[in-house]
Amino acid sequence: MSEVNHSTAAGQTLARNQQIVVFKLGQEEYGLSIDQIKEVVITPTVTRMPQTPAYVKGVANIRGNVIAILDLEEKFGLVRNTDADFKGNNYTLVIESDEYKMGILVREVPNTLSISTSSIENSIFTGDQQAEQSYIVGIVKLEKQLIIMIDIFKVISEQEGQLFKKQDEVAA
Amino acid sequence: MSNENKDQEYREIFLAEALENYTEINRLLTVVEKNVHDASSVQALFRITHTLKGNATGMGFDKIAEMAHVMEDFFGEVREGRILLGNEIFTSVFKAADVLGELIEAIKTPRDVKYRGIKTKLEIVIKNAKPSADKDSSAAKTQPGNVVASKENEQITTLGTEETPEPEVNNEAEHEVESTNVTFSDLVQVPVKKLDNLLNLVGELVIERDRIIANTASGHSSNEYSRLNRISSDLQYSVMDVRLVQVGFLFNKFHRIVRDAANKESKVVKLKLEGTETEIDRNVLQVISDSLIHLIRNSVGHGVEKPDQRKTKGKPEEGTVTLSASSESDNVIIKIKDDGAGIDPAKIKAKAIEKGVISAADANQMSDRDLIGLIFEPGFSTMDHVTAISGRGVGMDVVKKALDSIGGTVNVDSMIGEGSIFTLSLPSSMAVKSTLLFDLENQTYAIPLSYTESVISIYKSEIHKAANGLIAVHLGHTIHVVFLADLFATHTEPKKKRYQKFDQLHQEQKLEIVVVFFNGKRIGFVVDKLLQQKEIVEKPLKKPYDSIPFLSGVTILGNGNVCLSLSIPGIINSILNNQTSKTINA
Repeated sequence: MSEVNHSTAAGQTLARNQQIVVFKLGQEEYGLSIDQIKEVVITPTVTRMPQTPAYVKGVANIRGNVIAILDLEEKFGLVRNTDADFKGNNYTLVIESDEYKMGILVREVPNTLSISTSSIENSIFTGDQQAEQSYIVGIVKLEKQLIIMIDIFKVISEQEGQLFKKQDEVAA
Repeated sequence: MSNENKDQEYREIFLAEALENYTEINRLLTVVEKNVHDASSVQALFRITHTLKGNATGMGFDKIAEMAHVMEDFFGEVREGRILLGNEIFTSVFKAADVLGELIEAIKTPRDVKYRGIKTKLEIVIKNAKPSADKDSSAAKTQPGNVVASKENEQITTLGTEETPEPEVNNEAEHEVESTNVTFSDLVQVPVKKLDNLLNLVGELVIERDRIIANTASGHSSNEYSRLNRISSDLQYSVMDVRLVQVGFLFNKFHRIVRDAANKESKVVKLKLEGTETEIDRNVLQVISDSLIHLIRNSVGHGVEKPDQRKTKGKPEEGTVTLSASSESDNVIIKIKDDGAGIDPAKIKAKAIEKGVISAADANQMSDRDLIGLIFEPGFSTMDHVTAISGRGVGMDVVKKALDSIGGTVNVDSMIGEGSIFTLSLPSSMAVKSTLLFDLENQTYAIPLSYTESVISIYKSEIHKAANGLIAVHLGHTIHVVFLADLFATHTEPKKKRYQKFDQLHQEQKLEIVVVFFNGKRIGFVVDKLLQQKEIVEKPLKKPYDSIPFLSGVTILGNGNVCLSLSIPGIINSILNNQTSKTINA
């Protein structure tokens, strides 16, 4: 995805506007490029699956498609709010690519935001080399907000590796 | 009458394929003409002519087979770099392709096509490329065929002045392209992907229908939906029927495989085909095709003895491998039978102990049948030396895995000195599965009926802890009892105690147990509540969670919830693996 951004940015003016979808995970705000998201739906009944990591909540039926539902809060190790205003993960972002189709649990209806591509800071150092190089695309700094832009498909492919590792361990 | 129809059908399929091959050959030739160093196109040409040759041989179109064979040889030489492509050679190759096209055309409208001239010319080119080696084979190639010798001579003499016959051939080729379009009209080739998609949609429709009927069953009379029910069922079966192919289509390719395998081992083997008109889902056939090839090669390589050995045993020198197919309710049974030496359980036992597949103590307790079953264990081979076609010890376990993946089974029956029978039981369709639905921790799961032996209800007090497992005895069978809930939990919470659920139960609690039988193991799964028997349309899992061993797929229930369909082979293998790793640790 980041490659696509690069090429389009290079093709036109540098200060191009980009639509992103912003959602809250833990206390942080995360952003996804809008073209990675197919729709936002009210979370359907999720069927738990065995032999998957804990952050894979299971599978659900979304318009006849059975897709995996992920909890990124659990995946990123963000502290879960246990206070009273937590009403559950009511919405699901449906992510789609040619290869993958899956849902991400969020608590509130996500916002869409139009930002200038130049406001994405690509070179960041978080101390976690792995995460930086894989799924964190950059940081968007707005007046009162800091949005972590992620490439969801890289998150998934990282998981995939973990899943297989886990299975190998089980088999060994 | 039906046989004639089948023949006609085969001819049409062959014709469509052959014409496609012919078009592809022409396209690739023009590519190669522009760039003679295009190795991948030459390779593609080699492959296409090879396929065409194989198909033509299978159908008994000897002329096409001969022509394709020469072209295959030719492209083989080009690929090896022994023939350099020049203008002159291209003229010949294009002409050869045209003649090939004419021969294919001649199936539809029988007429005499002169093909030997160009064939011989190519043969000469090939012979010149490798001066000494293959005189025999090319001489042999010209021999078969029933065209009168004088005609052949006549053709050869015209070789020098090839300019004259060529325009005529070209005209004919053009003419032929026109009539070709007509052939396509009564046979449509559809990519499998489109069929899969269609089947998926029909599956959706059936699920949706069930949902609507379930929701409104109370209010309206069920009559209202009977038409919808019937039409959608008919639609579902029609789509499934489209995906069915005759096993003969695959079986016919085995003549060559048997011949090659027998030749390499200097054995004489004939292949007998039975029940070639049996229909089976195309995807199932695709999954098992490699396994079948392997089993057939094994029958020739391991089963059938050398002619002199057979003679001393009082058998005919020629061994017979019989490949038969038949339908049995929802399943297709494929049998591979040879009249060879049979499998010696004692040999298997010795080998298994030597290779460390099982311990000597275990082996002594096993029945002959179980011992023979060991050939499906990974890394097992009884051949003392590795041969070209069989005996690498990879394969039988792969066969088993392929069958497991589609919910099929494989069994071996063998009599020393009389031969072996491998019986494959395959689902005739991969899309619809008969399952038993049950509840477990407020979720509904489906378990395929093909592995389900019985459903029993027993008290907790009848289940006993034995070593690391739980055991119950029912109707004389010892059943290994597994709490599915615990099994599913061990993967997310490895520290959870193995029998937590069991220990929590009251002594007099009645337990519902689904008993499955797979791979010689009888295992009972404790579930919360049994629901009903149901035909489900199974969908594969989507990436990236498409390879969870415990699950074979998912389906959507009438209430819109997702139901997981369990993979019995996956679960049982995982249970077995856990046990073996435990014993190693201990």
